[in-house]
Amino acid sequence: MRLRWHGVARRAGAAVVTVLLSVFALTVILPLVWMVLTSFKSSHEIFASPWGLPPAPRWDNYVQAWREAGIAQCFGNSVIVTLATLAALLPIGAMAAYVFARYPFRGARWLFGAFLGGMTFPLFLTIVPLFLLLADLGLSDSLGGLTLVYVAYSLPFTVFVLTGFFRTLPADLLEAAMMDGCGHAAAFWRVMLPLVKPGLVVVGIFNAIGLWNEYPLALVLLSSDEVRTLPLGVANLMMVEHYQSDWGALFAGLVIVMAPVLGLYWAFRDRIHDTMVAGALKG
Amino acid sequence: MAHAVPRRRSEAGRARGVQRGAFVAAFLLPATALYVLFVMWPVAQAFIFSLYRWRGVSMERTFTGLGNFAQLVADPVFLRALSHNLALLFFGGAVILCVAIAVSHAIHTEGRAARALRAVYLFPQVISMVVVAVLWSFVYNPSFGVLNGTLRAAGLGHWALDWLGSSRTALPAVGVVFVWHALGFHIMLLSAGLRTIPVEVTEAAVLDGAAGLQRLRSVTLPMLWPVLRVSMVYLVIGSLNTFALVYLMTVGGPDRSTEVMLTYLYEHGFKHSEFGYATALAVANFGIVMLLSGAVMAAMRRDPTEGSPA
Amino acid sequence: MRWWVCLVAGVLLSAGCGRARHAPERGASSEVEVAVFKGGYGIDFFEKAAREYEAKHPGVKIKVWGNPRVWEQLRPRFVAGSPPDLCYPGWGLDHWSLVYDKQVIALDEYLDGPPEDGTGTWRETFEPSLLRLGQYEGKTYMLPYFYSINGWWYDRFLFEKHGWTPPRTWSELLGVCAKIKAAGIAPITFQGKYPAYTVSGFLFPWAASIGGQKAVDDAQSLVPGAWKSPAMLEAARRIKELRDRGYFQAGANGMSHTEAQMEFVQGRAAMIPCGTWLHSEMRNQLPPSGFEMRFFLPPVIDGGKGDATAVCIGIEPWMVPAKGRMREHAIGYYRYLTSLPKAKEFVEQKGTLMAIKGSDNAKLPPHLVGAADAFRRAKTVWSVEYVQWYPKLGTATQNAMAALMNGEITPEAFCQRCEEAAEQARNDATLPKHRVQRD
Repeated sequence: MRLRWHGVARRAGAAVVTVLLSVFALTVILPLVWMVLTSFKSSHEIFASPWGLPPAPRWDNYVQAWREAGIAQCFGNSVIVTLATLAALLPIGAMAAYVFARYPFRGARWLFGAFLGGMTFPLFLTIVPLFLLLADLGLSDSLGGLTLVYVAYSLPFTVFVLTGFFRTLPADLLEAAMMDGCGHAAAFWRVMLPLVKPGLVVVGIFNAIGLWNEYPLALVLLSSDEVRTLPLGVANLMMVEHYQSDWGALFAGLVIVMAPVLGLYWAFRDRIHDTMVAGALKG
Repeated sequence: MAHAVPRRRSEAGRARGVQRGAFVAAFLLPATALYVLFVMWPVAQAFIFSLYRWRGVSMERTFTGLGNFAQLVADPVFLRALSHNLALLFFGGAVILCVAIAVSHAIHTEGRAARALRAVYLFPQVISMVVVAVLWSFVYNPSFGVLNGTLRAAGLGHWALDWLGSSRTALPAVGVVFVWHALGFHIMLLSAGLRTIPVEVTEAAVLDGAAGLQRLRSVTLPMLWPVLRVSMVYLVIGSLNTFALVYLMTVGGPDRSTEVMLTYLYEHGFKHSEFGYATALAVANFGIVMLLSGAVMAAMRRDPTEGSPA
Repeated sequence: MRWWVCLVAGVLLSAGCGRARHAPERGASSEVEVAVFKGGYGIDFFEKAAREYEAKHPGVKIKVWGNPRVWEQLRPRFVAGSPPDLCYPGWGLDHWSLVYDKQVIALDEYLDGPPEDGTGTWRETFEPSLLRLGQYEGKTYMLPYFYSINGWWYDRFLFEKHGWTPPRTWSELLGVCAKIKAAGIAPITFQGKYPAYTVSGFLFPWAASIGGQKAVDDAQSLVPGAWKSPAMLEAARRIKELRDRGYFQAGANGMSHTEAQMEFVQGRAAMIPCGTWLHSEMRNQLPPSGFEMRFFLPPVIDGGKGDATAVCIGIEPWMVPAKGRMREHAIGYYRYLTSLPKAKEFVEQKGTLMAIKGSDNAKLPPHLVGAADAFRRAKTVWSVEYVQWYPKLGTATQNAMAALMNGEITPEAFCQRCEEAAEQARNDATLPKHRVQRD
């Protein structure tokens, strides 16, 4: 009798769980689908029937968004900055994380704590001192300056996660490498770093997503049209469209911003899920 | 630390020690240099600004010592904003934890719903806050939003309120979006944690006759302890530092019913030209975050699995 | 080893990219830098004018740039001491702080000089009621360019179809609202998310209508008790009355300006308070036919003491930073922009009114005709100045206004809250004080 009761309870439980999952999945998918549909409507249509299908797809919303905000150039700038930041951030972060993970020294915990503490200070209050600093260094209004700042601000999360990954590597690996005559550095580059490649991939992707969407720093540190990144272009679009009330183009702009990020995430979704799970918590 | 590289005492060892030291320094240098220059130095300057009265449009400023902080402690709006942050933390956090635990449990099962969810649960985290705010503003729109539309279609028209425009409902409405946005991250953390529970433990518990809920309580939760701790720290940071969502949806209104510490800070800095006070607010916010995170870490230090029989 | 190469290459690449695109922060030494807020009117007009000025003054280069959030970039530049030579920061930068910190220069010596063309002084080409809004302690720091008039709007076709007329008095207002509501349309909508609209559209006009302009001038000038004067209280009570009668659109309290204005443009609401930028802001959403927005002054209170022709205007000022370098040409360029031909051109192209006398002789679009007439006939011109003078008081009164519009506080509580906030501003010794200037 008890077994049958358990069987029923388990099946009921499974059904409840399925419903819960489906509802949650819907609350995530539906808004995005709605956004894409809305990006094909005119403002009039949006306000007249916000939840209906677009009567005819207005591709010129996208043309308008692309042209009005000069999004092509912003897109390119964002690609450059994101890639350059990652190219500098991953090696530098990995180097530091490796040391924190395997090479204890006096004050290591303080330094690590300092890195983590930086994650909690609200960004827009450091903006004015940061602007002044870059001006002094001759790096204002340049993609190079922005890249350096991005690397610095992405270090805490990167170091935090990679430290966890490095901690999972067995100690005898290092012994073996060093007995083969490798120095510490060579051991790092040739043996240890390749082993945490999944971690690098995941950290890289998370950072890329954040950098792609970054707005406040880019806003203050860049001003010329030539160097503007995508979030600035879209924010401009938002304000411009706000003034012109062209909601269709606004949504088209938002879709343009979202698409690469979602595409990237989709391509790597299993990898992210599995490897983030595997090593991230050992910190 | 079992995996650490040990320091040695012999002469060859000391040479290698120097080599080790040089290596450590060299590897830490780029990260530390960049971080100190671009993060810590501006933060330090920001801390200094909090001791001044400063309009933020020139370098003219007057020293007031701890005056800004004294004013802050007596500021009723600040305290009200803090209470809103804490409401998000406790109520929002409770919902997030419960739902995340349930979902992360279920996400490991097979079945189409689980697979679909695995693919999309991080979407809210991945799209920018602007999109989230615009989207949900439309959902909450009293005339044509989907929420009120659904309520009216279901015959519950008298529940179709002005969600973001009325002081009573604005904060909960924003809270829902806060939860929706944060869930994905915590689901990810918790499913990671669940993966670390050895399969044998779970099987043993099932064999012992523990049904789902009891298994949750006696096996899953204690083994998830370190993960829960991490999750809670992120909840503290997320709820106390929330800004973009509130700013974009309600600007802290109506009549300060959704005001949080950072929107108040923004108002002082950028609208009222009181940068010194705004920085003092940031320092206070920082201190509160540190305090609460520390409290959470301390309260959850005792791992219930230690010393208890399997 | 490969990694090192990649790393170094990465940093060099980004630095190189940076330098290749590095637009010099301050521009070439003889370039005049003009930073402009890019709102509904764009910046193309100013760019074209810059080319014309360069043609008239060979050897001078003017760089005009702008975007909708230009103040966020201007602020750090002011702090760093390297601002542009001329700027129109828009509504997001605290102009008065720039004045107090001596970051902008007084322009009286230039104003007392000759204008671009014609005789007399440059000062005389401006409408005096607009020029004095940029003055502090007798000196003029900020100059107007285009100005907007605040009032109420209705759709001519909608009203004609139903035989309604725009109300001129309170009793007419109640009458037409009842008819509008019976027709299934919301009589009045408003931009609830931004209570500044309702302060300038409902509260102040009615307080002035009841107690005379002095009632509003005193409140703005921080005269003790002005925020809970009988006139102000009565104005708040009238607002409550409209709400109690259900004449405000449901859900307006949470609406942003574009949302409320969409309701008006799509015919779901009959009247809305707004400025003359309304047409430009909504131009892409206007129905292709059968809609024409028209301006009218807020209805006056029957038997009130106030001037029935009083008009509320607003300016968005231009200023010359003290640390700018190309001062003469920056001011020369602005003088050129404010010449009568250019002013008329702006009116015709952008559909807004200009602060230059005689510019309204240009061909005005239909929605501006009523507003321009109202300005010409106005015996009293006023502006909402206290929000820029005392930002905290502005925030406090706007929050209270939202609560009043929402029915969450009583008119008495509203006045009490505003008066308390005014008291705080009065007692704040670090806050420079202003007074409304009236001839």
